[in-house]
Amino acid sequence: MDFQVIGKVLPRKDGIAKVCGKEPFASDIVVPHMLYAVTLRSEHAHAEIIKIDTSEAESMGAVCITPTEVPDFTYNERTVSIPEKTFCDRKVLPRRVRHVGEAIAAVAAETEELAFRAMQAIKVEYNVLPSVLDPEEAMQPEAASLYDEILLGKQQLKVKNNVACERNIVIGDPEAGFAAADYIVERDYDLPRIYHHQMETKTVVCQPEANGGITIWTTTQTIHNVRQLLGQIFELPLSKINVKKLSIGGSFGSSIQMNSMIPICVALALKARCPVKLVSSREDDIHDHVKFPARIKLKVGVTKDAKIVAADMRVLVDIGAHQINSYPLLGCMSGWYASLYKWQDFRFDGTAVYTNKVPGCAMQGYGNPEVNFAVESHMDVIANECGFDPIEFRLKNYVGIGDEFWGQGPTVKSIIKSCGVEEMLTVGAEKIGWSERRSSQAKTGRYRKGVGIARGFHTSGTGGPKPGEVIDYSSATIKINEDGTVDVLSPVMDLGGGTGEATVKVVAELLKVPYDKVELAIVDTRTTGYDVNTHATRGVYCGCGAALHVAKQVKIKLLEFASRILEENPDDLDLSYEPEDNKTIIHVKRFKQKQISIGEVAKLAQIYSWGTIAVSDSYRQRNCPPCFVAHFIEVEVDTWTGIVKVPRAILLADSGTPINPDMLEGQLIGSLSRGLGYAAYESTENDLETGKLLCGGFITDNKIPTSCEMPLMDNIQVYFAHTYEPTGPFGAKGIGEAALNSVAAAYANAIYNAIGIRFYQTPITPERILQALEGGASVEN
Amino acid sequence: MEKRLIKVTINGKLRELFVKSNDLLLNVLRNDLNLMGTKYGCGIGECGACTVLLDGQTVLACLILAVTVDGQEITTIEGMGDPVQLHPLQESFIEHGAVQCGFCTPGMLLAGEALLKENPNPSEEEIREYLRGNLCRCTGYAAIVKAIKSEAKSQSADPGTLSE
Repeated sequence: MDFQVIGKVLPRKDGIAKVCGKEPFASDIVVPHMLYAVTLRSEHAHAEIIKIDTSEAESMGAVCITPTEVPDFTYNERTVSIPEKTFCDRKVLPRRVRHVGEAIAAVAAETEELAFRAMQAIKVEYNVLPSVLDPEEAMQPEAASLYDEILLGKQQLKVKNNVACERNIVIGDPEAGFAAADYIVERDYDLPRIYHHQMETKTVVCQPEANGGITIWTTTQTIHNVRQLLGQIFELPLSKINVKKLSIGGSFGSSIQMNSMIPICVALALKARCPVKLVSSREDDIHDHVKFPARIKLKVGVTKDAKIVAADMRVLVDIGAHQINSYPLLGCMSGWYASLYKWQDFRFDGTAVYTNKVPGCAMQGYGNPEVNFAVESHMDVIANECGFDPIEFRLKNYVGIGDEFWGQGPTVKSIIKSCGVEEMLTVGAEKIGWSERRSSQAKTGRYRKGVGIARGFHTSGTGGPKPGEVIDYSSATIKINEDGTVDVLSPVMDLGGGTGEATVKVVAELLKVPYDKVELAIVDTRTTGYDVNTHATRGVYCGCGAALHVAKQVKIKLLEFASRILEENPDDLDLSYEPEDNKTIIHVKRFKQKQISIGEVAKLAQIYSWGTIAVSDSYRQRNCPPCFVAHFIEVEVDTWTGIVKVPRAILLADSGTPINPDMLEGQLIGSLSRGLGYAAYESTENDLETGKLLCGGFITDNKIPTSCEMPLMDNIQVYFAHTYEPTGPFGAKGIGEAALNSVAAAYANAIYNAIGIRFYQTPITPERILQALEGGASVEN
Repeated sequence: MEKRLIKVTINGKLRELFVKSNDLLLNVLRNDLNLMGTKYGCGIGECGACTVLLDGQTVLACLILAVTVDGQEITTIEGMGDPVQLHPLQESFIEHGAVQCGFCTPGMLLAGEALLKENPNPSEEEIREYLRGNLCRCTGYAAIVKAIKSEAKSQSADPGTLSE
């Protein structure tokens, strides 16, 4: 398709400010007379707080808050589900701490140093309780319980055996399916807790206003949900709460919720009656959230002709001390599993269990990388055991065009209308040299190379033909200025991936305006309609969907005003861009001589007092198309040290029309790095005696990939499938989370191909590889 | 705590500052001088987000006491270029899609600049090794490496630079 700006590589709108260090992040916000805040965090995994003595801190001039001085409100940080499916267990400050590092009190003072010293002067008396740190032990009858009761919506709910929530789904008759199978393959997989490691630590600045309201600058993926939850907690009218939209220094899910430090800062600011800034230390931040871990048991039945006939997946998620949408997580995990292959008859049993650990929250993929690692490893195991080609086996059974896709578990589904799976697997196989791949048995010597493939997807948004358990719609306001330039007001957060540029391009394309004449306005919750969240890979598909919906209405208004000026029927008019004059004109169809520029129309509309050409509206996408990916990864295993290098990677994406091809590539390559971290290095584990993080909160002991671990530039190849999503803005789907989902499985499959050892647990560290090699691990095939 | 007077050239301008003996350079830059391009990422030298140039060498502002830079010269991202006149490496970062969230960007740019001063034509491996202490969670580093490599190429293609 011939586009004017869609698909063109253009400088990002915030690029100049970011390279000059002038782009404001929440942590850069300074308000006159603001105090600096620090939180006091629990040293125990599980304890009742008997007494908190803040007298010494207060005598130092600090303002302090303790659990008795904040609203006694029970909430769930993440409010994207409908209220009756939202499990709430969290307080602004708890009277009982449930993990090491949970904030229990906070102080604000004139300097950071004074705040820190005052925090250290607070005395806490604890009654230490027995803790539970293993999810399976947590479900035993004798285990200590974290909660007696929580809330489901507004209803009280008893908690038994620390089970936070469950989801059990059966489709068809799995037992009959397994009975018809020629092979049944069963394995257990184990995926770790890892830390998001966004570069900007979670931050909030709260300024009390003269009208009794508050203004908030914070790291978030959703300004509107922050506003609404603060309104509930502090019983403030929403009209008096304003949350500013800012750039965020990376997120990956870490600010998908209203972070728990936000109401703490608000409570401090309201007590101090002056602005307060609370910046998490890196150590605080690591104690705030981790990626959901998962233990997965997977059983799949296959016939001799490589057709899958039944599957059974049992998932145990150790969610830690609080539910941050673990119920929809289990639903989504069922959906990621249900939508990878046509299992025919299948079962999903998911259980989320409380433990005295850092709470799990969404992190790029929301259960998908976990499920994908299990299923895509399993597909290779089956292919090896049953003698199928791994690619042909996948192509024979994948869920593709015309099939049903579970975009958000069993309640949000839509039919797949665009699919590049076959193209990507064919192209990827060719690029990596799949036909020359040899089995691990043919490999000898210290360094052994292997090639692995895995494929995956993510949903684009959480929309479906009918509203499900998850709220999904977005809003936009678009205004034509009197010189023909365009202002776009969008509530959609850009997490760095380029959603903002995509929004500009979609508006520019529809209105035939050049990219540099469209700007994103600086906005907040007061000046924008609702957007649920930049999550679920929905920024482009849903956010730009709303912008397109509004731009179409602006076009109608423009043509209507122009028709009055040109004295023509609006239906006979059209928009086009005139590059010689760098102007967007409205002209009579097939008679370009009769024309007027959109700037002139807007100016005349002002002079004639017709009004501003602007539209504000909301829009819900009624589909959730999967964006597909495939990863072909080559590894080189040093069998003496266990160290693995990645000489080559082929990253393939079916994102529909690529709106920002450069940023799409950037998302894929960035996800390769994070995926390699998940596959090979990262694990944020606890000491099973004390409940403390083994890394102590430090990056040094919780490493992420650096510049040195990536394949060389020329050895990373990116390929976009040629697809067009009929329901997406100009054919586009998402990419964000999909880009990561199959990296770890491709890596594990490549290691198997190199050394013949199958790893069912990540991270696949050099230590684990050496242990397996030295232990003479059973070499399959 | 008693404050001491230090004289520092920051982004080409000589400044006289009163700092406490335990003030970190990072906090002085951000809180006293409002130079917000130098970022806090960890506070203990693990992430590189607070990279600045001290007499042309990369240092981590979170590990340096402000009193120790008395008489020296500091360049922060604000001194590298500005929106009206970008430094060529800043332009290269924009052109190569090396910026995503942008939080590591100032540190990466200053590290890249220091590298190109030390080694005008680095290999890809040398660039990656040099950036090892600057963490980025968004980009996977490839676009950043590419932006630095491309700028090195255009510098070495410039006869003015060669004759130095």
